[in-house]
Amino acid sequence: MARRYYVSNDVSALAAGADRVAAALAKKGATVVRTSSRGAFFLEPLVEMEASAGRVAWSNATEKDATQILSGKGATPVEKIPFLAKQTRFTFARAGIIDPLSIEDFKSRGGFKGLQKALGMDPQKIIDEMKASGLRGRGGAAFPAGVKWQTTKDAPADQKYVVANADEGDPGTYSDRMIMEGEPYRLIEGMAICARAVGATKGYIYARSEYPHAIRKLRAAIARATEAGWLGHKIQGGAFDFELEVFVGAGAYICGEETALLESLEGKRGMVRPKPPFPAIEGLHKKPTVVNNVITFASAPDILDRGGAWHASMGTEKSKGTMPLQLAGCVKQGGLVEIPFGVTLEAAIYDFGGGLPKGSKFKAVQVGGPLGSIFPEKLLKTPICFDEFAKAGGILGHGGIVVFDHETDMVELARHFMEFTAEESCGKCTPCRVGSTRAREILEQIRDGRGRPEDLETLKDLSDTMKMTSLCALGGLAPFPVLTALQYFPKEFERKPKSR
Amino acid sequence: MAPLQAILEKCRTRPPNILATLQAVQAATGYVDPSHVPLIAQALGVTDSDVHGVLSFYHDLRTEPPGRHHIRYCLGDSCIAMKAEASLEALQKSLKCGVGETTKDGKFTLDKVYCLGNCALSPSMMVDGDVYGKFTPKTVTGLLKGRK
Repeated sequence: MARRYYVSNDVSALAAGADRVAAALAKKGATVVRTSSRGAFFLEPLVEMEASAGRVAWSNATEKDATQILSGKGATPVEKIPFLAKQTRFTFARAGIIDPLSIEDFKSRGGFKGLQKALGMDPQKIIDEMKASGLRGRGGAAFPAGVKWQTTKDAPADQKYVVANADEGDPGTYSDRMIMEGEPYRLIEGMAICARAVGATKGYIYARSEYPHAIRKLRAAIARATEAGWLGHKIQGGAFDFELEVFVGAGAYICGEETALLESLEGKRGMVRPKPPFPAIEGLHKKPTVVNNVITFASAPDILDRGGAWHASMGTEKSKGTMPLQLAGCVKQGGLVEIPFGVTLEAAIYDFGGGLPKGSKFKAVQVGGPLGSIFPEKLLKTPICFDEFAKAGGILGHGGIVVFDHETDMVELARHFMEFTAEESCGKCTPCRVGSTRAREILEQIRDGRGRPEDLETLKDLSDTMKMTSLCALGGLAPFPVLTALQYFPKEFERKPKSR
Repeated sequence: MAPLQAILEKCRTRPPNILATLQAVQAATGYVDPSHVPLIAQALGVTDSDVHGVLSFYHDLRTEPPGRHHIRYCLGDSCIAMKAEASLEALQKSLKCGVGETTKDGKFTLDKVYCLGNCALSPSMMVDGDVYGKFTPKTVTGLLKGRK
């Protein structure tokens, strides 16, 4: 058989030039298979080849390297790439290996085993496994997934829904995107398991419009899975029906908040609903609805296949399993790092991320998206898990880690975060709508050297009001990056008037 | 008006989905003409203000014709960390157009976006469907070449 070369068609790989490399290889007569990405984006385009001892790879390949690649020289065994070798992958175990849309590839690597098992199980047993796994929602709120599923299962209704929150809006995160583009069947499988457990027959994937590649792949995967009997009517010949559909968002960060997402899915303005009632009891069209993040659903197949106890054996006491961290910003080695909870932030940034590029010095890191706290160097020893982060005054959120270097102006950064909130606030509650705009104005004044002595007190007071009285996490958490920037870099906020 | 009617015909679901309808109209015509709001409302059996409310809420929905090419420039946290603002300034100078505007020749519409998921290779932008990363103020404008 002719040698096969593997080149990713993930968006970041494409941005790095993967299409050009694939075309150059094909032009020289090579058989090129397009796969998902390993997530080691700093190495993309990464060309892989099946050798006798496993895959070997050429990193940062260009069109000019085609001849050398085809000669077989200069490759590194994939398993010896340190960035990948040190990870513990299960949600991303197949990343970079298979053709995202090939059901055959997916099944040959253990795909649909979890769903197959779930189809033969009593729904309550499925939920018991999820509870035993200790899996907490990966979207940011970290709510126990099994408890949420139980609530929907126990809610009597003629119609229930399962909704994937694929509105991965936190800047600095891309793990959901990687699953949707790289292994859409994993998400489909996880959602079908959930639907079977709670008694839902209809599901939606609410995907953000900024991810057109993911949307195309999801739609194609749904069509193929339906054709192959893994979705639709009488799944695998049994009595279980589950229909799945992609709904595309329209560029509103707030629609990552579950109740705003449901409003949007109903076609309305993405305005937050007061809770309770929780969506698990009264969600889409007022029916019981499980809304989980993509990674949460994507974790379910392995839990069903290998058992909840297996999952609970990884991680820390209250943070079970692994966390797909996403390294971004000013790091040498940006990419996806799936590791068990408990590793320090420092290890993530330096051992996996390779530290900062030459000429850049560490100043601060933000974990958990635009609503996450800013940590200075002295907090780098914080272990990555929900509780330790909470103790240190931060959030883990969806696992985004953005590193800022010595040139970063912390006042301008704080202003940027408040501008973000002011633009993305749905406007339903006053503290978020007015507070964010007012806070942005104050920070603008300080940045421009027009600050007044009472400004910082006003800012803190405003932040307290937002934290305590906002309807949802956007207004409730938005003050954190600003307050932590102020706490750890106070001198920068004592700016003397100057012309800017 | 005929194409609009044909689109609306396909969007008459129960209950009506205003957002999906406006997305369908925009996909077909490039934008949603505010003067069509009453027609859309009537077709869906909702009020004008229901439609206007949705139309004015979402960043993606536009009420003016866009340029031939759509730039979505990322100002997410990771891109900010990688000095995206400097490249945006260079891009605006070269296009002679601000964020949220369309160039005079109607070639490009420049919008900002919060995250394209290409954060490992920041800064990032999307032009039509293509994502670019790791550019600098010097290289960013070259990425637009070859578009008519």
